[in-house]
Amino acid sequence: MKKLLNLQTYLPLLFGVGSVVILMGAWWGISLLTNHEIPSPLMTWSVFNEMLATPFYDYGPNDKGIGNQLVSSLIRVFSGFGLGSLVAIPLGLLIGSNKTAFRLINPIIQILRPVSPLAWFPLGLLAFKAAEGATIFIIFVTSVWPTLINTAFGVASIPQDHKNVAKAYGFSRWKYITKVIIPFALPHIITGLRLSIGVAWMVIVAGEMLSGGVGIGFFVWDSWNALSLEKILSAILIIGTVGLLLDKGFDWLQKRFAFA
Amino acid sequence: MTLHPISAPVDSASEFHKIQSRPASIELKDISVAFKTPKGVFTAIKDIDLTIQKGEIVALIGHSGCGKSTLMGTISGMTQPTSGTVIANGNVVKGPGPDRGIVFQNYSLLPWLSVYQNIYEAVDSVFKGKTSAEKREITEENLKMVNLWPHKDKLPGQLSGGMKQRVAIARAFAINPSILLLDEPFGALDALTKGSMHIELLKLWNLDNRNKTIVMVTHDIEEAIFLSDRVVVMNNGPAATIKEIVDVRLPRPRNKKDIVHDPAYMEIHDRLMSLLFDKFSIEDD
Repeated sequence: MKKLLNLQTYLPLLFGVGSVVILMGAWWGISLLTNHEIPSPLMTWSVFNEMLATPFYDYGPNDKGIGNQLVSSLIRVFSGFGLGSLVAIPLGLLIGSNKTAFRLINPIIQILRPVSPLAWFPLGLLAFKAAEGATIFIIFVTSVWPTLINTAFGVASIPQDHKNVAKAYGFSRWKYITKVIIPFALPHIITGLRLSIGVAWMVIVAGEMLSGGVGIGFFVWDSWNALSLEKILSAILIIGTVGLLLDKGFDWLQKRFAFA
Repeated sequence: MTLHPISAPVDSASEFHKIQSRPASIELKDISVAFKTPKGVFTAIKDIDLTIQKGEIVALIGHSGCGKSTLMGTISGMTQPTSGTVIANGNVVKGPGPDRGIVFQNYSLLPWLSVYQNIYEAVDSVFKGKTSAEKREITEENLKMVNLWPHKDKLPGQLSGGMKQRVAIARAFAINPSILLLDEPFGALDALTKGSMHIELLKLWNLDNRNKTIVMVTHDIEEAIFLSDRVVVMNNGPAATIKEIVDVRLPRPRNKKDIVHDPAYMEIHDRLMSLLFDKFSIEDD
């Protein structure tokens, strides 16, 4: 008979519990050291539960539930990310397959990529005359680079063998793009998207601190103004969890589209 | 009248004459190929003249790096000769074309397409005028010919080396080229699979009334003799040339088991051995 209490099966769970214990221990220690100026896990937990109990309440512009904040942040992230990907993927396909395009566009990418996306915020305000548009704009700028670079890299690394098949059997340009380039580059593209959404999720918090209104980033800033560190810590946990889920989603996609 | 009568005498000079009198399928005129490398210009092959008749099977043999694949590349159109002209089916070769089917050294199947799609996409690309029903029929027919119909939905990664090569051969046959170019097609296969692939290839060639010209690159002497009408032996590179062309006047169909006992076979085998190897044993002193 198979042993039910096999250590191997429970090992992942044990490690999970272990890392939670370390996190809580460190948090609790810091809380003690700061004389509870940083609230302890237990104090945060009650506020966290309160927040999750009524996530979608709406008492006017400055008092909305955490669910509302999260949803509006996610909508912004996906709008910006979607638009960014629509630009990044085709452009990546182009510069990955065309040397001239690469040499023309690569220097621009190299200069703009290291710029903090927040630097684009004023330009976004100028262009869209509204904080909402400006926030989506910075997410757009953020999510372009990783997808663009990964797509271009993927396309550029197509093995000669695959190109030879297309050449030998006279594939049309369209067939070459849809049956060779895109399927080969797809895993690279998804890696790019995964990196993009990760950075976009990080940038949205900072962006919403600038833009105000509603959103998880604004919630953090607003909680600071209200001096509720419990809310800030709860928000950090929520941001982290959502980020993890987004990453897992793209990880799943990546595995789904991996060939051979 | 068949061009390779089964009852042909072993001393089939007359049969050979008939092959010679068939129209030219491939003409290589004064072909040289040189590559630019960081160390300077590297001449791979030099002044190659060769005419291959329609329906002939010709093997290019030589040591690794002697330029036989490069020579093959000039026929397929994947490599442009630095000087000289290649004429295939009466037209100057300027690039790859559907009259020349290529089977690559490493199968070159697209790993994200199923066995069926790998062939269908090639068929679809070449036969632009045909309806999709006709193209599906061609795909099916060729897959069945290599006995891979039950595996049509598998991805290349799920197939053995021999099966992959059969897909690649079916793909080359599916576009119905008059010239078939095989670049070390069986090099990566084990000896047993290789043997059955030889027979399979000849079967396909027979089905088409031996009308297809086949040029193959190989470094396997037995394979070259068993399959071909002529074996082109190349010098070692750089600037490789044709060392000698050995005629293989063995009647077809050839039997893999019996042929090795044929004195004519042994003679050709010996000749090829002495052309390819300088030494046959290590010196004792």
